[in-house]
Amino acid sequence: MSAEQAGAGVALRRRRRSPLGSRWTPYIFLLPAAAYIFLFQAIPLVQEIYLSFTRTNLLNPTRSVWVGLENYEKIFASAGFQQTLLTTLGYVIACVVGAVGSGLGVALLLNGRFPGRGIARALVTVPWAAPGIATALIATWMLNAQYGIITRVLRAIGVDVGESGILDNPDLALVAILATTIWQLFPFVAVVLLSALQSVPAELTEAAEMDGANRWWSFRVVTWQVIKPTVGLVALLMTIWSLRRFELIWLMTRGGPLGTTRTLVIDLYSQAFDSKQLGNAAAIGMVGIVIALIVVVGSSLVSRAAERGA
Amino acid sequence: MAHSTSLRSRRAAVALALASGLVLAACSSPAGSDSPSEGEAVEPATITFAASTFGDPGLGPRLQGLIDTYNSSQDVVTIEPAAVPFPTFGQTVLTQMGGGEGPDLVRFDMPEFTSAADAGLLEPLDDLIDADELGLQPGPDEYMTVNDSRYGVIFDTSNYVMYYNTDLIPEPPTTFDEFMATAKATTQGDVYGLAFRQTQAEENGVWQDIFNYVYGFGGEWSDGEKLTLNNPKNVEGLEAYQSLYDANVIPKGADAATFRKMFAQGKVGMELNNGGYLVATRGTNPDLKFSVAPIPFPVRAQGAIMAPIVINANSEHKDAAMDFINWVLEEENQVALQEALGASSVATKTERTEEQLAETPFLPVYDELTNSSAPQIVVGFGPQTADIRKIVVTQVIAALQGQQTMKEAMDKAQDEAEQLVG
Repeated sequence: MSAEQAGAGVALRRRRRSPLGSRWTPYIFLLPAAAYIFLFQAIPLVQEIYLSFTRTNLLNPTRSVWVGLENYEKIFASAGFQQTLLTTLGYVIACVVGAVGSGLGVALLLNGRFPGRGIARALVTVPWAAPGIATALIATWMLNAQYGIITRVLRAIGVDVGESGILDNPDLALVAILATTIWQLFPFVAVVLLSALQSVPAELTEAAEMDGANRWWSFRVVTWQVIKPTVGLVALLMTIWSLRRFELIWLMTRGGPLGTTRTLVIDLYSQAFDSKQLGNAAAIGMVGIVIALIVVVGSSLVSRAAERGA
Repeated sequence: MAHSTSLRSRRAAVALALASGLVLAACSSPAGSDSPSEGEAVEPATITFAASTFGDPGLGPRLQGLIDTYNSSQDVVTIEPAAVPFPTFGQTVLTQMGGGEGPDLVRFDMPEFTSAADAGLLEPLDDLIDADELGLQPGPDEYMTVNDSRYGVIFDTSNYVMYYNTDLIPEPPTTFDEFMATAKATTQGDVYGLAFRQTQAEENGVWQDIFNYVYGFGGEWSDGEKLTLNNPKNVEGLEAYQSLYDANVIPKGADAATFRKMFAQGKVGMELNNGGYLVATRGTNPDLKFSVAPIPFPVRAQGAIMAPIVINANSEHKDAAMDFINWVLEEENQVALQEALGASSVATKTERTEEQLAETPFLPVYDELTNSSAPQIVVGFGPQTADIRKIVVTQVIAALQGQQTMKEAMDKAQDEAEQLVG
């Protein structure tokens, strides 16, 4: 028997010794994650889909009545829900644009060389590290109509914030919530984009500059092309997170004044726990899931198209 | 009847049951989950009693003392207090009960009480409570019946009165015109004559505040069968509320936490609030000089925080829970409970002690309002109160902000609420 044949024989024996191992090992490794997803995501999702077609009271969840599309018809016929959808859309777009824009700006600044850069990089993460509830409560206090420092400063420089203050002004409440949200989100974007910026090959930007490109052109043709996938990913995360954001809005305005800060999740919570209508709440939740799916699939299609184009 | 059984005979029966070893057997039998009934020995149990007031820094320790007294008075039933924070109390406990669990005994506020009773989550007490024999105060007690069944007994009632700073306002106003004039005269610099809630973020608080104006001007949210949100009397009361808002006599935009601090600092002259505020205000500033008077509106009718004690229909120890209710309703324990509660009233009419009156001479003002107070629900529409509240408060705030008149606001609220209740 040659050495080659002997080697092949050993390999065969190894395969024979653990036939299951080679075939089932990937599935065994996948099992915990699959079980987790099945138990904590798939089952609740199926239950939510079912609930959305029923009239179910929070106080008697086992006594559901099948009502078909009635919950969907009801919420889409409601003018309040249409306003909620528009508010959600506006809030999400503004959050993504604001957080990604400011995060990118800060990342570009932090990517430069200046004294104290390390301290600045550490400090910039503070808003992201702050708990959402603490952020909301501090922001509410700073915006307090009587004692809030922001209100006082704005009044001192002649800005009319109304007698009842910023958070109770229908024209300003959403702006205040957006500013607080973006303040909390931009450090995450900045840190992620900073790491992407650090992966931009220096020789490429140097080559562009040697070819006479100014800083803007160099950013556009070199830096942007490298960080674009990361920006896309961060924008996707910002979109999903903004669709889901609850505690900050709830603590600052509870969806008011006059429903001007009422987003989908606030509406969902209110239906489920104030009105105790789990069916309506589930239907609103399904609308949110569909919107999130559209965003994710759309983003995926855009990325693939971009890859093919490249 | 269980509630009329004397303490001594009840304990004798329990002791006999223990001695004969029957109790242990009964503990493991399905009968343990039966409804409470008269004359039967109470089975040994440790039960939970959930109340948001257990977490109150002022009231909590006093109520704990009452529970300790009950626990040490016998060795059959042990009560374990469960302090669930007030802001999430209703949601937390109702969700637990809807899921077939929850505490054995609950001190609910009225909106949650009516919702729970309507959903069949509470144990009916019709055969176990005799209001006449117990001498229950009729005003609050009439609200303990939902869908023709009694589901609770008043644990405490906290009536709304007018608090006023006696340094700023030596003589309290007695009419609405005087109320307005006093508020205007007191508002100077950083001192405001009055404070109330007027922001959407405090929807429940706005509802509690406007309730006094609506009922104090002779209005009501419903006649028990139909909604009457745009009743002219309601509009009149709400216009009075708006006139105070427009007169710039309140710290606009300030939330309750802020303006209560201002009241304690002597920067707010008057506030309409319930009996629970007495202990809190003294706790914040023991040196503040203040007193209370009936709300000076045309009709002597005001809101009250009514809090029934109820038995969870899911409880496996309803007899033990009922034993505690019976104990609380005994005369000496009603006096002890009233002392613990401070300015609130209890289920029966009790006399204040001389020590209490010496410390707080105006306590009778609260007590005299008990039978003219109403819970802050829409009578006949208790389970829908939260939804109706949202509609009304949203429209009222839109009127405050000048987007519509109060009459238009209430007409819209009536239309929306009628669609809601069908």
